[in-house]
Amino acid sequence: MFHRLQTRLTVLYAGLFALALGAIAVTVYLTIAATAQQAVRQELAATGGVFDRVWALRTQRLRDGADLLSRDFGFRAAVATRDAPTITSALANLRGRMGLDLAVMMNVDGELTGVDPSKLDAERLWTALDAEDGAGGVFMVGGEPYQLISAPILSPTLTGWVVFGVRLDDREMRALERLSAIRLDADVFSRETARDGEQWRAQDADRQTPALTAFVAQALKGDGAPGRVQGPAGDELVLAKPLKALGGGASALVLRYPLALALAPYRLLLAAVALAGLVGAALVIAASWMLSRGLARPIAELDAAAQELEQGREVQVAVQTRDEIGRLAESFNRMADGIRDREARITHLAMHDAETGLANRHALETEIAARMAADPSQPVIIGALGLDRFTFVRGAIGYALATELIVEIGERVRSHNPDVMVGRLTTSTLCVVSSFTDLDEAVAVVTSATPILEAPVRLGGDLVDIHVSNGLAAGRQGESDPHRLIEQAMIALDQARDAGRKAAAFDETAYGDPASNLSLMSEMLEAVRTGALFLNHQPKLDLRTGAITGSEALVRWIHPARGFLGPDLFVGMAEETGHIRALTDYVIDQAIADQQVLRAAGHDLLMSVNISGRLIDDLGFARQAIERVAQAGARMCFEITETAVVGNAAVALQVLEQFAAAGIAVSIDDYGSGLSSLAYLKQIRADELKIDKAFVMGMDREAKDALLVKSTVDLAHSLGLKVVAEGVESREALAMLQVMGCDIAQGYHIARPMGLPALTEFLAAWGAEEEAADPLAKKA
Amino acid sequence: MRKIVASSLKIASILFSVAIFSTHAMAADLTLSVRGSDGKPVADAVVTVYPGGQPTKGPIKFDWPYRVAQQNIQFNPFVLIVPAGAEVSFPNLDKVRHHVYSFSAGNRFELKLYGREENRVVRMPAVGVAAIGCNIHDQMVGFIKVVDTQYAAKTDASGKAVIRGAPDGPVVVKVWHPYLRAPRNEKTVPLAALRGAVSQDVSIELRAPAAMSH
Repeated sequence: MFHRLQTRLTVLYAGLFALALGAIAVTVYLTIAATAQQAVRQELAATGGVFDRVWALRTQRLRDGADLLSRDFGFRAAVATRDAPTITSALANLRGRMGLDLAVMMNVDGELTGVDPSKLDAERLWTALDAEDGAGGVFMVGGEPYQLISAPILSPTLTGWVVFGVRLDDREMRALERLSAIRLDADVFSRETARDGEQWRAQDADRQTPALTAFVAQALKGDGAPGRVQGPAGDELVLAKPLKALGGGASALVLRYPLALALAPYRLLLAAVALAGLVGAALVIAASWMLSRGLARPIAELDAAAQELEQGREVQVAVQTRDEIGRLAESFNRMADGIRDREARITHLAMHDAETGLANRHALETEIAARMAADPSQPVIIGALGLDRFTFVRGAIGYALATELIVEIGERVRSHNPDVMVGRLTTSTLCVVSSFTDLDEAVAVVTSATPILEAPVRLGGDLVDIHVSNGLAAGRQGESDPHRLIEQAMIALDQARDAGRKAAAFDETAYGDPASNLSLMSEMLEAVRTGALFLNHQPKLDLRTGAITGSEALVRWIHPARGFLGPDLFVGMAEETGHIRALTDYVIDQAIADQQVLRAAGHDLLMSVNISGRLIDDLGFARQAIERVAQAGARMCFEITETAVVGNAAVALQVLEQFAAAGIAVSIDDYGSGLSSLAYLKQIRADELKIDKAFVMGMDREAKDALLVKSTVDLAHSLGLKVVAEGVESREALAMLQVMGCDIAQGYHIARPMGLPALTEFLAAWGAEEEAADPLAKKA
Repeated sequence: MRKIVASSLKIASILFSVAIFSTHAMAADLTLSVRGSDGKPVADAVVTVYPGGQPTKGPIKFDWPYRVAQQNIQFNPFVLIVPAGAEVSFPNLDKVRHHVYSFSAGNRFELKLYGREENRVVRMPAVGVAAIGCNIHDQMVGFIKVVDTQYAAKTDASGKAVIRGAPDGPVVVKVWHPYLRAPRNEKTVPLAALRGAVSQDVSIELRAPAAMSH
């Protein structure tokens, strides 16, 4: 309900105080009310006592007067002689003298003198007077209550009664009220028989309530103790005293005292209590408000600070107190510091290279993006600065110094142009985000600055020579993005190195489109199905027999859109993209099928297939290839390069053993080019050696090439290998090879690679000529 | 001296009675025993017998003195039966003075302050009751029953009254007492006729005497 601590505390304290105060106020009020009631009860009882006394005194006075008259000899004589005028005058005389409201004589026969007989119930009065000597009490005369006192007239026997009466009217009641110490209301109630039974009525109808009459009826039956009743003047304390009634009926004197009056003297006290309570409550509210504010405000500040901290802002809370909240604020500040430090460290780690402390790729991309966004109209130009032969240098000076070297190069770039940002892209490559806007200018500046960067670096006391290459790329907001820009710079670096330049801008046309290369691969797989991919066969001539004994299967692709595609283009790409296995599987299957077609035509050729170095250590491929060959009963030769074996020599050699075991011949392709290892030559379980065509093609012009070919033929023969010479393009070369003892020749001079139908025709023609003449002579 | 007079009166009355008896050979005594409603004997009740319901013709004489003395601030006797026209004396035997009066109809009199040795005589002309009092001493109350029959007596302390010599035959017998709760303080005894000696019990209801001192 209350979301604020301050409000909650204030309400709690104020509520508790109000509760306590309320309890005190109620207690005080109840105590006062009880005391006041008690006082009034006592006063009522006392007034009741006074009234009894007054009643007795008046009764006595009336009785004395009545006695006096009743004993007067003359009066008695008048009564005895029924001298009515005398009696009336005597009664009037005494009434006047005593201030009576009523003076009556009733004789024993019930006849009245001195009053209008219609005003009272004579028979009832006679009965009452006759029943008791000197009877007295309340009696209704003319509808009003009178206090009557009688005295018998004896002359000497009873001849009648003198009856004196005082009306119990307002005047009497007021007189009685004046006797009390407190301002009482006094009334006479009489029991009257009404239609609905007996009922108590006040003489003055205004001075009664149902509750009051009910109380009077009840009190006269009970002990007559004072009670609280809703009377004419509100909540009142009431005492009902029975009055003796004459001749039946009942009357009561009812004394009332309003409680409000009883409480009146205490009003000031109650007001003081209430005022003290209000003042106290106000003080408590103010004090608890201030106290809770003292508690809540630092908490609210901490809350706000925590929110700021959450949003990454640096924040400190002022510590104002030494209590728990103060300590909490201190802890918060320490926590904020810790978070800030850790965040700074994390941020630094995220944006910097741990090794060199230079900005990392992420930081560079962020910076490039920022610069691109800062001015979308201008391109951002970055450079990839690569240390040439870094692995070699690192091997020479060690990792630690190599790292220092990188840092030093970065320092040089920055000192040359402080506007740039330098970061590390790879182990040996730095990235420079420049402020150039013209790419050609940038290339020129970088090229001219390179000698400065390439000055020898002193590391660990020694001078280290370094060489660097630069690739530059430019990109605008919307046209490029930081990631792509960096990639282009890296490619540009490669392009610069390939071109042997110190700095080069990214050449998009030279690079091609990697995305289109990928689609080319999927098209290649499609081409296998459609037949766009096919095999050409280049026949191999046995120099000893002059017969075509084998052919090399070469894959060809006629692309529906791009036309003829050379194997150099898509084979390398298939190797890079992992599609070489599918391609090789196709070539093997197709070669087996073509061999069977040739067999059907009567030509048994050994089919050579080039196996990529990527597949030579692939045991799964080897197993499947062997299965297929065996299944078809084919005669195959797998041509592999020696370098392919070097990558995973153990597995490659095992695979070659399996090929040999399966009856598949193995040919070492392109021998002499690249890195040829005699050690591996010894280990490879091969059947033949193919001399690289570069040597064979230059053999008739260069004596050295001829010498190399001759020595290779001899080497192979001495290792038990057949020798195949590629690139035989002239009759002279063919003759020289024959003289050198080369076993098999392959080249344009013998036959170009051709499709299966052409091969079949070629073989048929060759067979016919062979029988007619010496082939070598024919060729020559 | 007074004793001699009293006894001579007694003798005279006996003689007189004998004379009556002689004329009415069939005469006998009527004994009434009067009791209150509480069963206690009532003294001072006056029994009157009217043979044939008629008052006695001729002079009536009772054998007790017609005298109400004031002695010890009391009337003595409390009740006195006299024939109509009898002269009743009111001797004052006290040392104080008295003021004797009666407001009773027909027998009103007033004997203003008189002292010892002063003998006052009042004639009682009317049949009925003379209630007598003293204006000085309220407690002094007495009654003189003035009758018109020879056959009257008052009950003694045991509540018995004996009427002698009343003739047999139909009678009207009444009982009177100053406090008898009945009109004129009188009640007729349910006894229609006399034959020989008759004893009759009568029960009456008395009211408390009106006290003068409260």
